[in-house]
Amino acid sequence: MITLATASKPAVALGGFFALAWEALLLIPRRPFALREFFVQSWFVARVSLLPTLMLAIPYTVLVVFTFNILLLEFGAADFCGTTAAFATVTQVGPIVTVLVVAGAGATAMCADLGARTIREELDALRVMGINPVQALVVPRVLAATLVAVLLSSVVITVGLAGGFFFSVFVQHVTPGAYVAGMTVLTRLPDMILAIIKAALFGLAAALIACYKGTSVGGGPAGVGNAVNETVVYTFVALFAINIIATAVGVKVTL
Amino acid sequence: MQTQFYARTIASIGDAFLYYRTELLRLIAQMGLGTGALAVIGGTVVIVAFLTVTTGALAAVIGYNQFADIGVEALTGFASAYFNVRLAAPLTSGIALAATIGAGATAQLGAMRINEEIDALEVMGIRSIPYLASTRLVAGVIVVIPLYCVAVIAAFFSARLCTTVIYGQSSGVYDHYFNTFLYPMSLVWSFLLAISMAVLIMLVHTYYGFTATGGPAGVGEAVGRAVRSSLVSAGVLTVFISLAIYGQSGSFNLSG
Repeated sequence: MITLATASKPAVALGGFFALAWEALLLIPRRPFALREFFVQSWFVARVSLLPTLMLAIPYTVLVVFTFNILLLEFGAADFCGTTAAFATVTQVGPIVTVLVVAGAGATAMCADLGARTIREELDALRVMGINPVQALVVPRVLAATLVAVLLSSVVITVGLAGGFFFSVFVQHVTPGAYVAGMTVLTRLPDMILAIIKAALFGLAAALIACYKGTSVGGGPAGVGNAVNETVVYTFVALFAINIIATAVGVKVTL
Repeated sequence: MQTQFYARTIASIGDAFLYYRTELLRLIAQMGLGTGALAVIGGTVVIVAFLTVTTGALAAVIGYNQFADIGVEALTGFASAYFNVRLAAPLTSGIALAATIGAGATAQLGAMRINEEIDALEVMGIRSIPYLASTRLVAGVIVVIPLYCVAVIAAFFSARLCTTVIYGQSSGVYDHYFNTFLYPMSLVWSFLLAISMAVLIMLVHTYYGFTATGGPAGVGEAVGRAVRSSLVSAGVLTVFISLAIYGQSGSFNLSG
């Protein structure tokens, strides 16, 4: 029986996750909408994510631009580096950094906050008062994370392009005009739209996982820590998978 | 305070090997396979492999499209040998390490701190930093070695698969450029980069777990803060180390 209980655990968790996700999505258009909680949560997620975003966006773009520029310099095609920078930032680095920040910073903070409330039985108190915790807590969080993820991905792309510009122009001596002119060769409006859709999907998935893990915490302080740990792992895995699928679909659509 | 903790952790590594060998072995086993729900889906190894497969595929996608733009898509094999070794594999395995082993260590240590178990250890005359922090540091570094091998192989494999199967490049072309530009020294450097990243990540994560305060919510917050700071420091470390190792020319010779 022990093996059966262990084996059925992932299935139970998966079922619980989908039940919560379904309920949250159904409750989004319902009134009363927790507007104040939505703003508080948006500000909260933005606050914890902004600095890591800047700190991660710059190294990643600089590394990608630097590595590909070396090759382009060999060909004498360094003027194309704006193309690389724009393509890499908009289609790949932007989404990946957004994933890292949304999962590593936003989702962990959200899960820690909800987990602590669950441990203190605040969610049960809400239920006793006749308030559905999914509507009062989960829905505003999911919407806030989606909004902030979209905003963050724009920040990542802007910072990445600016960082790539400074690095190419001042360190690798590329003509500034060539960099700017090259940016739109491969990257066009559909790619931008795809990047924003991806970011929205990341925010949605990360917030749902964080809320599920946060509301199903058990077992005291160690439980909250483990829940946050599992949130990080599952959101990374889920978001990388979403990234691949969205990229594949996007490439098909835009071609 | 933070630096003092790091210095004491590193200084007590010898003690960890001498006195707490059983604890060390237990931690290595735990980190390699993961605990609880993580072990069910295959543990740290599977997660690292999964993340690097995706980044390897991305390297192939960027490389192929970018090179096709100037008509040299044959060089995608070069991109895999170059990009995966220098950036994708170390960074991705660093991220996976921070997410799985690092965050797990913070959660464990934080829970111990909140439950006053660390104080209990001190009362029993067990020095808590060598017993808890140094052992985790050593175990993290030991575990990252096989994990990194898995990461590199997964990245190579997925980049090759992506280029030859999805984009339909002939595998001979891919293999030729891949083998030409795969420098053994780069692999060694990238290995060292991964190990130094593991040291950094384990130090950051044990520190945040060790100094958690404020009840259950505090443990969760400590995990979140630790993940944030270790992600940022891993990114910055990679930039500086790769610029230091490969320099501006990138030790890359195509035209001879």
